[in-house]
Formats: sequence, C-alpha cells, structure tokens
Amino acid sequence: MGREDERELVGSARRGDSDAAERLLELHEVLVFRTCRRLLPQGEDVEGAVQETLLRALKSLPRFTGEGSFGSWLVAIAVNLCRDRLRRRRLVPFLPLEARDEDDADPLAVIPSSEPNPERVAMAREAVHRMRREVSRLPRRQREVFALRFFVGLDLEGIAAALSVDVGTVKTHLHRAVHRVRLAVEEARP
Amino acid sequence: MSVNHLNDDELNRALLGEELGGEAAEHLSSCLVCRRRRDEFLALVEEVRGADPDEATRARVREQALTLWGAPSRRHWLRWAAAAAAVVVLSVLPLLRSRTPAPKPVNADAVLVEVNKVLERDPLSAMASEDVVDTVVPVGSQVGERSIS
Repeated sequence: MGREDERELVGSARRGDSDAAERLLELHEVLVFRTCRRLLPQGEDVEGAVQETLLRALKSLPRFTGEGSFGSWLVAIAVNLCRDRLRRRRLVPFLPLEARDEDDADPLAVIPSSEPNPERVAMAREAVHRMRREVSRLPRRQREVFALRFFVGLDLEGIAAALSVDVGTVKTHLHRAVHRVRLAVEEARP
Repeated sequence: MSVNHLNDDELNRALLGEELGGEAAEHLSSCLVCRRRRDEFLALVEEVRGADPDEATRARVREQALTLWGAPSRRHWLRWAAAAAAVVVLSVLPLLRSRTPAPKPVNADAVLVEVNKVLERDPLSAMASEDVVDTVVPVGSQVGERSIS
C-alpha cells in the first residue's frame, strides 16, 4: 500500500470510519506484536499491551502528522507504552533471560546440519540463551535499536522515526549493539 | 598463505545489510568462513525473534481495541444484520404469496347462454357437441361424471 492510500485510510479513520481504522490496524499490528513481545519481559501481558497500543493510536489519530509511516508511528507508541510499563514495575531486564515456551520450538535451526544430537541441541539452546541475555544487558537505547532492527524488522529510517532520533544516531547504537552481541555469541562457539 | 577475513567493522556492516567496499564485498562472496559467521548470526536472530501471532489472536486483539475505541463490534453488527434480514424475509413472504395469480374464474353465465342457444337449435346433437363439452369441461380439468338435465 502506498503512502497516499495510507493517508486516505488515516483520514477516513479520523472521521470515524471503523472499516478504515480496522484496515489500518490490520496492515501494521504485527509490528506492535513484535515490539511488545521483545520489549516486555517474560510474564508481562503482551496481548494487553498490544491492545492498549492500538487503542492509544486510534484515540491519537488526529495527532498523526503523516510525515513518517503509520507503522513507525504505531511502533513509537508501542515503545513508549513498554517503557511506561517497565518503569512502573521497575523491571530492569529488557528481554527475558529464560526462553518463552514458544521460542524453543526448534533450537536446531540455528546450527546448519542434518544430524541432530544432544550436543548440537545443547549448543543451539546455549546460543539462543546467550543472544537473549546479551541483548537484555545492552544499554536501553542499544537494546531498542537492536530489537527494532532485528526482531521487529524496521529499517534505519523507521527506527529513527519510531524513537524520534536521527538516522546517524540509530546507526551508531546499532553498530555498537551488533558488535557486542556478536562477540558474545561467537565466544560460545567451539 | 594467509587470508585476510572481514574485520569486525566490515562483518558488523554485513550483518546490518550495509554495502561493503569492493575488496570486502569480493572477499565475502568467496569466503566460506566469513559467510558462515554472517549467516549463523542472522539465523540465530531469526530463532530468537520467533513466530508472529496467528490470525485469530491478531483479530481478537484488534477487535477489542476497535470496540473500546467506539467502533461497533463486527460480531454484534453481523448478528444485527442477520436478525434484520430474517425480519425482512418473514414480512415479505406473505406479500409474495398473496401476489400469486389466482386461477381465472369460469364465466358461468356465458356458458349457460351458450348451452341454451345450442339446446334450442338441436337438443339431441347438443348433448354430443364438442363445443359444449369443451366449454363446460375445459381440456385438462379433472372432474368427475357430470349429467346435464
């Protein structure tokens, strides 16, 4: 969908057209799910956070300027909501140290081989845990850019818009974060 | 023979999908070790990212948000639409039935006039006249025995 079509949908939704609002959410809600899932710690109500983000967005439609994409604007609301929740609960960890159940479906996928064995399973689990742990230990801004780039799938401009910073700042934080996480993961390899 | 693999900065840029310089890009395309470092990291990222929520979950959360926003719930809307359609069908059905054309009534007076005319002319042959029989008993009608007296 082009930017122009998106603006039309936003305009209709602002005038109370619920079909247009629904279409807008349908197009971008997966970004909110990914953001909340990765910015909130284990045990936090992700679906509740997504619902609240979508509701905040609908109520704030008149304030959407249309300068950036609607998706980035939605992610910005999700990021702020997650920060609020973390602050309110005084939770330090950004990502859960322990895996969520659904994340452990196939740990072997990270090791390219066709011969599963206990050693490989252990290595794969260790790699996943190590990445989660390292990301959770990053400074807040680095955590956010890393999550938005690799787990949510935003490009540099999208991240910059979502975090209200310039692209250069995003690049700097991203390079530092990638470097640190990569070294930690590679250290664990035999 | 020593091989110069990608340095940290180049590898980080490769992980971020950024353009590498000529030599580095050339090296990456031909070096199995560097490609494997990049690909394993990206595969690990995919693993940690996990799967997106299914459509049912997405639809449920979306609808809750829309309802709280003030949009009429789609399920309620569908129920009202189904109820309205049923009311319309039930109210229109009797009207449709009443508009079904009734069978054309037989003009009994005309039949009797015709019969009298024929009887006056020739009472005996009139009894066997096909015109009279056809008029009194139209083709296709199911009637029992009749007598003219």
